[in-house]
Amino acid sequence: MRYDAAIIGAGADGLAAATLLARKGLKTVVIERGDRPGGLLSTLEFHPGFRASPYADEIAAVPPNMHWALDLSRRGAIFVPAPCSLAVWQERRHVLSASAASPVASLLDKISGTRTNIVARAEQQAGRSQGGVFSSGRRHSVEPWPGQTWSAHSLHALLADALADEDAAAHLAALALCGRSADPFLRGSAFHALAPGSGCSGVVMGGLGRLADALVRAAEEAGVEIRCGLDASDLKLDNGRIAGVALVDGSEHEARAVISTLDLKRTFLSLFPWQALPRQLIARVGAFRMTGATARVLFALKQPPAFPSPQLLRGPIHVAPAFSRFAEANLAWRSGSIAAELPVTLRLVSQADPGLAPRGGAVMTATLGAVPCRLFDGAWTKEKRDILRDRALAAAELVFPGVTDRVVAAEVITPGDMDEALGATHGDLWGGEIAADQMLDLRPWADPPAPRTPIRGLYLAGPSSPLGPIATGAAGVLAAQAVMADFNVVPDR
Amino acid sequence: MTSANSYDALVIGGGVNGLAAAAYLARGGKHTLLVEARETPGGLCDTTDLGHGHLVPSVAHALYALDPRVTSELRLTGHGLKFALRNATIALLQDGGGQLVLSHDIRAGARSIAACSKADAEAWPRYSNELFTLGRSMRALWWDLGGKSVRNRLVDQIARTGTGAWLDSWFESDALKTLVAFDASALSPLEAGSALLLVWRAAQEMCGLQGAVAFPAGGPAALSMALVKACETAAVELRMNARVAELAIDGNRVTGVRLHSGDVVMAPLVLSSLSRRTTLLELAGGAGLGLGERHKIADASPVAAAKIVLALDKLPDADGIAGKLNGRLILADRPESYVLAHADARAGRIPDDLVMEVTFPTVTDRALAPQGGHAASVVVRPVPREIAGGWEASRAVFAAKALSRLNGRIPGLVKHVVAIDVLTPDVLSSRYGAEPDTPAVSRMLSDWPARMRTAIDGLYLCGADADVAPAASGRSGRIAALLAISATGSR
Repeated sequence: MRYDAAIIGAGADGLAAATLLARKGLKTVVIERGDRPGGLLSTLEFHPGFRASPYADEIAAVPPNMHWALDLSRRGAIFVPAPCSLAVWQERRHVLSASAASPVASLLDKISGTRTNIVARAEQQAGRSQGGVFSSGRRHSVEPWPGQTWSAHSLHALLADALADEDAAAHLAALALCGRSADPFLRGSAFHALAPGSGCSGVVMGGLGRLADALVRAAEEAGVEIRCGLDASDLKLDNGRIAGVALVDGSEHEARAVISTLDLKRTFLSLFPWQALPRQLIARVGAFRMTGATARVLFALKQPPAFPSPQLLRGPIHVAPAFSRFAEANLAWRSGSIAAELPVTLRLVSQADPGLAPRGGAVMTATLGAVPCRLFDGAWTKEKRDILRDRALAAAELVFPGVTDRVVAAEVITPGDMDEALGATHGDLWGGEIAADQMLDLRPWADPPAPRTPIRGLYLAGPSSPLGPIATGAAGVLAAQAVMADFNVVPDR
Repeated sequence: MTSANSYDALVIGGGVNGLAAAAYLARGGKHTLLVEARETPGGLCDTTDLGHGHLVPSVAHALYALDPRVTSELRLTGHGLKFALRNATIALLQDGGGQLVLSHDIRAGARSIAACSKADAEAWPRYSNELFTLGRSMRALWWDLGGKSVRNRLVDQIARTGTGAWLDSWFESDALKTLVAFDASALSPLEAGSALLLVWRAAQEMCGLQGAVAFPAGGPAALSMALVKACETAAVELRMNARVAELAIDGNRVTGVRLHSGDVVMAPLVLSSLSRRTTLLELAGGAGLGLGERHKIADASPVAAAKIVLALDKLPDADGIAGKLNGRLILADRPESYVLAHADARAGRIPDDLVMEVTFPTVTDRALAPQGGHAASVVVRPVPREIAGGWEASRAVFAAKALSRLNGRIPGLVKHVVAIDVLTPDVLSSRYGAEPDTPAVSRMLSDWPARMRTAIDGLYLCGADADVAPAASGRSGRIAALLAISATGSR
């Protein structure tokens, strides 16, 4: 088959990119390894009658223009931003509510303003045509990116300097580091503040799978062909330029442009035979740091846990966050061990979205950070998985005494499971370490500027691109814009 | 100015930078007074007698890129400065006695590296070349007074890169990465921009005509003595035992200082070689600083260095180790050691992976010890600045831990120790007024005037804090003096 554009991966980025290209009349195909589209955006029944989104409850914000262009609400994706966030310690708690004017709110505004500016800056870069013939972006813009000064700040400095209230600072750190591993005292860790939880992100009614359904509907209406259950085995090159995609079943699709929504390592190390790429490129890809830290535990509860103010349970519940706790957990994580005190964020997802649990029951998820993908002392055995479940339960007991007795089933998902299920290298859901030298214009590398790559006709969307870890679908939109700019298609405005 | 207590310029602190600043001010025609709180000048560049004629460097044990212009312009050689060792090598003490040695001789370095990794030996000249190129591009900013800020793409990138990631992108051998990372170990290898410290070291190698890392003959005090002579020749008045209590400020101008003795000294120009924090907060009382700035300066780094000096009756000689005890010897297990040590130190614990730099000054300078005897000087960094229960209670534990690690790599060392002094951060601070001097990446990328000028007219910083990265180099003293002279000259 002959296509204008082929897209690897039917997650938010891939589906958004495909829709925009197809609407411009480009013949577009999306190739998905899994049985159904969605990737990270999925919701499944993990115990009879109990449903949850296994890999994340909440995603980074969908840029408003994309939301509007794809008409996601009409297609069934209803976003419900969490009305509040709760941090609970042994003797006290801290509530963050979206509406109140406070130093916290103004700091969050500042952060989300920076995020908006970063998205705008990345768009400007993607839309600049490289004149069809790809030049390797030698014209380096010396204008610093929005947020670049953050490389000099630690997350602790960013939050603690702005907030006199230590609990509020620790609470915001928990929002930023949910499911991650980082030392918040080190310069450059401020970039974690761009995390999903610390802006206008949201939960989708019915689970993240609903968003995938809406995106699929938009793509199909635009005429995109979505082919599931098919692994792309190789990208075909002709004279150093992308010529098409070979699939594992032996078939080949010709395509002038390929957008990969896989992470950087998967894109270059699994889609090309090694000898096809320059050694220097392989080395650059190898030097990109990726390591997962997220584990999830899904709990089916026979009845909702008791809590004095249930209205506070509609958002995330961070258990005893403290800067020193994140730093210590990060150290253990680096050495491949499970920290004594893992950072845990709970969510009683059925509280805001009752449809996820059967009548009278409840669904609670735990997101654990600083969980190593590989343990120093062997595999993730049943016993090791049980440690994660027990840590999550111990944390839950602090918030909901007696909750253990209500658990009817628990499902543990390790970083390794995420690697296998999502194709995220080492289970890194953010497509590469969040560090000053791997963010903004340096993500995944400075030259050529993303979403373009050293291979002509190959574009990188997905988590390893500049917007990957901070906005949902935006990287796909940018890649589509770059393809349109390079192919002289007038983009939608 | 006629009053006896009235000068054109006053310098606070008689360390290397203070002395250099005073000498330059006087040579520029300023009637200059230098006040030093201690009995003797020299500050951290001092020599201590551990007993029986074992002379050891009190704090600093090597000179990092003493500014060659200071040496020549102040005629330090004429004032008695000689070097026992120039271009000191840096070597990693490995388990099992293997040794990786690097020096300014790139080919010799590559030969030594080849024993660890062939690929790294090939990469070494390219790496050195890249660092030199980067260092050269920073030249205007780091070595010249009126340097313009650099917007070089690679510098911009490296200023956001940690040492760990930077070295990983070049080398495969853990030993080489561990050794090279030492020169940037003032910051955790995970800190964004710590790799810039490696560029700074390369720039020193390039510009230090006297050898990048050198040991003065007679110990560090010899440099201080030469500078004192230069000051005397230039007619600087030196006043010891004179601790400054506060700065006298009129409106937004400094007018002099008040000493602890109650004396007031008038001077329209004051150059302080004390830290930014002490100068601006304690002596100037935070004058002219916004709340945010005051807050920023007040945060002292939780990570510091400690010093251990040892007098030895002879050198340990097991397995021919005696022949390897020259230059700088680095004791660190693996690249990750720096990460762990920084995290431990910041959390207020004595690190398990202690990182140490050892020198045996007596190996190159026999005059520093009695017949047959030797001395060792050990810098341990990072250690916590403050520790639960106080350093007083933890000093013995710390010393035992450090000595046992030293003895592990230099077998037999401990049994030759005849005297020891352990200077934990509290001692360094009470004895020498030393404060933790953590480099700041943003300051490395700003120009000299930005680092030296203060919100108060006439007040300049001229100490290690104003240097690109903290060091006893004389560089910031020289440049602060020139800056101050040119500012008054144009008025």
